[in-house]
Amino acid sequence: MMRVTSFVSNKLAAVALTALLALSACGGGAPTTVNPSTAGPVAAAAYNGPSPATADIQAFKISVWDNLQGDDRCGACHKPTQTPRFVRADDINLAYQEANTVVDLANPGLSRMVAKVRGGHHCWLADNNACGDTLTKWISDWASVTQGGAGKQIQLIAPTVKDAGASLSFPPSTSPTSSTVEQAFNSDVYTPILSKFCSRCHQASSATPQQPYFASMPPSTGATAADIQNALDTAYAAAQTKINLDDPSQSRFVLRLRNEFHNCWAPNGGAVDCAASAQAMEDAIKKMIADANITATPIDSTLVLSKALAMYDGTVASGGTRYDNNAIAVYEFKTGTGSVAYDTSGVQPALDLNLSATAKGTYTWVGGWGIQMAGGKAQGLTSASKKLSDLVGSTGEYSIEAWIAPANVTQTEARIVSYSGGVTTRNFELGQTVYNYDFFNHTAASNANGAPALSTPDAAKVLQASLQHVVVTYDPVGGRRIYVNGAFTGTADASGSPLAGWDDTFAFVLGNEVSGDKPWLGQIKFVAIHNRALTLPQIQQNFAAGVGERYFLLFSVSNLISVPQSYIMFEVSQYDSYSYLFKDPKFISLDPNAKPGDLVLKGMRIGINGAEATVGQAYSNVDTVLTDALYSSVGGESISKVGTIIGLQKGPTSDEFFLTFDQLGTQTHVHTEPSAPTPATPVDPTTQPVDIGVRTFDAINATMAKITGVDINNANIVATYKNVKQSLPATPQLDGFLDSHQSAVSQLAIAYCSELVNSSTLSNAFFGTSSFDVSTQPGRDLVINAVVNHVSNSGVSTQPDPAAVDAASMHGLLYSLIANTDLSKAALGLCQSAPCTGARVATVVTAVCATGLASANMLIQ
Amino acid sequence: MKLKKLHGTRMRASRRPNRLASAITLTLSLALAFGQSTALAGQTERNQAKRIHDRLVGTPPTNATLDAMETMINNDHTNGPVQAALYAIDPTRTESSPFYTYMLKDFAAPWTNRDQQVFVPLNDYTATVIGMVREDVPFNTMLSDDILYTAPSSGAPAYSPANNDHYQFLDDKNVDLRTALVRTTQSSLTGIPAAATAGVMTTRAGAAAFFVAGTNRAMFRFTMLNHLCHDMEQVQDTTRAADRIRQDVSRSPGGDSRIFLNSCVGCHSGMDPMAQAFAYYNFDATSGTLQYTPGQVQPKYLINSDNFKPGYVTPDDHWDNRWRAGPNSNLGWSQLLSGSGAGAKSLGAELANSDAFAQCQVEKVFRQVCLRSPSNAADRSTVTTIVSDFKSNNYSLKRVFAETAAACMGN
Repeated sequence: MMRVTSFVSNKLAAVALTALLALSACGGGAPTTVNPSTAGPVAAAAYNGPSPATADIQAFKISVWDNLQGDDRCGACHKPTQTPRFVRADDINLAYQEANTVVDLANPGLSRMVAKVRGGHHCWLADNNACGDTLTKWISDWASVTQGGAGKQIQLIAPTVKDAGASLSFPPSTSPTSSTVEQAFNSDVYTPILSKFCSRCHQASSATPQQPYFASMPPSTGATAADIQNALDTAYAAAQTKINLDDPSQSRFVLRLRNEFHNCWAPNGGAVDCAASAQAMEDAIKKMIADANITATPIDSTLVLSKALAMYDGTVASGGTRYDNNAIAVYEFKTGTGSVAYDTSGVQPALDLNLSATAKGTYTWVGGWGIQMAGGKAQGLTSASKKLSDLVGSTGEYSIEAWIAPANVTQTEARIVSYSGGVTTRNFELGQTVYNYDFFNHTAASNANGAPALSTPDAAKVLQASLQHVVVTYDPVGGRRIYVNGAFTGTADASGSPLAGWDDTFAFVLGNEVSGDKPWLGQIKFVAIHNRALTLPQIQQNFAAGVGERYFLLFSVSNLISVPQSYIMFEVSQYDSYSYLFKDPKFISLDPNAKPGDLVLKGMRIGINGAEATVGQAYSNVDTVLTDALYSSVGGESISKVGTIIGLQKGPTSDEFFLTFDQLGTQTHVHTEPSAPTPATPVDPTTQPVDIGVRTFDAINATMAKITGVDINNANIVATYKNVKQSLPATPQLDGFLDSHQSAVSQLAIAYCSELVNSSTLSNAFFGTSSFDVSTQPGRDLVINAVVNHVSNSGVSTQPDPAAVDAASMHGLLYSLIANTDLSKAALGLCQSAPCTGARVATVVTAVCATGLASANMLIQ
Repeated sequence: MKLKKLHGTRMRASRRPNRLASAITLTLSLALAFGQSTALAGQTERNQAKRIHDRLVGTPPTNATLDAMETMINNDHTNGPVQAALYAIDPTRTESSPFYTYMLKDFAAPWTNRDQQVFVPLNDYTATVIGMVREDVPFNTMLSDDILYTAPSSGAPAYSPANNDHYQFLDDKNVDLRTALVRTTQSSLTGIPAAATAGVMTTRAGAAAFFVAGTNRAMFRFTMLNHLCHDMEQVQDTTRAADRIRQDVSRSPGGDSRIFLNSCVGCHSGMDPMAQAFAYYNFDATSGTLQYTPGQVQPKYLINSDNFKPGYVTPDDHWDNRWRAGPNSNLGWSQLLSGSGAGAKSLGAELANSDAFAQCQVEKVFRQVCLRSPSNAADRSTVTTIVSDFKSNNYSLKRVFAETAAACMGN
């Protein structure tokens, strides 16, 4: 097959290098990933054979042969001797024939060539998938010339039939006390292994903290019992997704050691031994399962069940319909680990980005392809970044395309994508300011920072904290334009200006400024730079193609109905680190002659790991009949248009899905809802509230009008009420009553009494006279009695007795207001401090009236 | 300080009482505010009658009225207090006017705006509540009936679906709502078809507060809050089907779907399928009118569709009550209704015929009349009895007021 000696020696070298790095990591926390080579293929002798006979062969040469013929790619073996000789140098036409045996132009991602490099066969990068994606791009480029685009028909592949259920899962953590499983995790896995060998990085307080924190440690000194439990809880929660209870040997913990030689140790003493480390980890997990006696909960046998699948059992729904003809740098973030985001554009040199933490924070990989930027940055070498300057310079136009999910709508001056030399010098930038996207571009008309920025309008709130597809384009004639989610935002330059001489010593960076002090918070799931201004149809095409890894899951239901090879098909993807997206359910048979034949489908639910998901069921209300008329053997028959998300449990490699039905065909199951819990009896307040209160604003106004007889629509009353209305009590509760309320009550009372005293008609009705004499006892009694009698009801024992004349009663207080002669009191009575004659009489009567009217007799209810 | 504040008022100079009067009035009022004298002996029933009247009508009774109420209580200690209370708010008696003109207005005012402010002018929502109480219209039709109360003979500008001038006039002039309000229909005045009217929800004030801008979920939330006494946090149930949650709800806010799976879905899974009933309504702030577009879903139901493309796209105004199952079945949905329908009218009936609706109305009245929330087993038992009576008395809210005032009349 291959030149064996070369292959083996290369692999051995790789193993040795990796082991060496792993060893050094054990000692000093050094990085464990090899930086990739970003150089182009080693130049071979120029092609001197016969000319390509057809345009297709010419396309093959440009897109595939030129890229693979180097001795560091495939040329070392498949050029001189090793069949298939798809990069043979003697005759490009013969190479083309051989290449055709290992490519699938209709479905480039499924090419044999791609599968080989993805499997690790002589990948020239540190990440096999990055090699696979790059090779896919090259074959797609060839296909796009040959077939006018890699549009394709997905070939559904029948999955292996397996039954659902019987899977093990972790019970929830029960902090502050540990569950049995957590205790077993502590004694078997955490204490002997994780805390010992992984805590240099995988804990929050590490100098180089690396998620997930399954080796969280309590403070080294002075740790309380709660600290220790918290650390264990954190580790336990983080470790669950890395442990496969059903098959411990497939745990991420074990695979990372056994296959990826990550930070191994020496379980048997002596030299570092990855195989032994992996075995020790696997044994520890098995011991935990045995100690905690974790057993599978069998699935309810009465359910109407489909067969089961994990996400990766599905057929890849690869986005082959993107428009990438002018992509010069593409980041898909498929690696999922390590510190390199690979440029899979296939355009050399690869502008790979090094992920790193900054003083502002760090980064983490997220599920379903992407990185979470939390202050870290992803930056390319200036030498590799130069290709942007070169290739954009050659066309004079470009586009930045990104799928991103901003973490918030409050950050400002945050760099999402930038090609810059510092905070104030750049070639271009896509940034966020609150709800707006900002686009800086260095042209003849801008300053060295690319300002003024083109920004989406504040009011439009275009930027949302959800996954968005944003494209900014520039061409020298039209200038800049901003598109979001496949639509033009209306934000554009009035006219264009040619690019200024771009500085090719700048660096391309994502999620921050090159200086690390302008972080953008959020997720980046895809970035591409095109050296053409994409058109609206091209942008819409890329928006429609979507982002992330997607699979068609075929849940077999042949066991339930008589239709052969029948399936319920979902498009499933990992939505983010915490959930899966299920959408577009269809009924389909892989037998082209089969039809559903009026198949009843009711109440479909998604199950995960042996139980129906409790949150996110979106098809439990489906009630439909699948008919032959609507069925197509190619596309099946749609069951529902909506999608939903289901919480992730163990991770995409382990979570096993299945479907249950209330009815499918003639099979039925009655879904019973758990009975609603009885509402708890309310807790009574410790102090029972008082059952009296004060009148509120409108009632006070109406009460004063009723007592005095003054018209509530009197202009002065209306004016005063308008002034004090909102200062009067709005609620009756006594504990909400303030002195400002009493102030307002008094003001209103004075207004009413003033109107009363100034009107002889009203005075006659209220006092029995309009001619007051407060200098004499009978005259004073007339006023006081009238006030007391009007503000009180007769014979009510919850009010002061109008007839009482003692000093503590209302009557007594009003009396002393006029006639107090006791110098030990605060002030003399109104008619004692000055003679009550002339205009002073009306004033004194008004004061007496208002004192009574604003009193508790009126106010309390 | 207090004196200074008094001087700051805008009374006309010729009528302004002098500083002396103001100062003394304030000082003595404060002294008297809580300095009530010891009670007179006996006459419990008279005290009870006084409290019933004060709490319901807001103003003190005349001595004649008090005498009459006292007699009713004395004559029948079981039913007399309720009779006395009904007498106090008898709309044929002039003295009951403040109950209708002020107390009911202030009772309902907070339901008509998002800030739950009581200091808002009278509007068609509050006027309709007042009219329904006055005429004993079954209160469980308040969210579904084609009903409106106006005051055509009050001298006010004619009712307009484009402004609140009619009610502002009644408010400004202290027009006696006990006599002025006349029952009519929304469909005859607003241009909304009778089948599309839904009680107070489709009044101009209701629409202006809750159908304006946004996504119309506000109408559902505030109706739940004001008339079932449950805000969204209290009805969260993450186990309902998520199939009707609209596209505008991000399933991964800020990239973290745990937020959706643990919080958002709890309300939206029940709210969105019910708020779909309002799909044809919008309050146009420019014209100041409620718009109804039968057969045509309002654009507000389709905004931010890219937040979750596979989310639900509203095709019509069909609604379903998913909370008939699960923990929210405790809200006591009527078994006489189906739990689904089309449009606001049937949704209003669904809400207003629940046990929670009846319970909520009684609890609101209890707080208004008893000046506190039900706060012990005896209070809760009282409320339960009144709720039962409310339903069996054809949802008469006036009777709820009377029974509650009797229950809180004191010993």
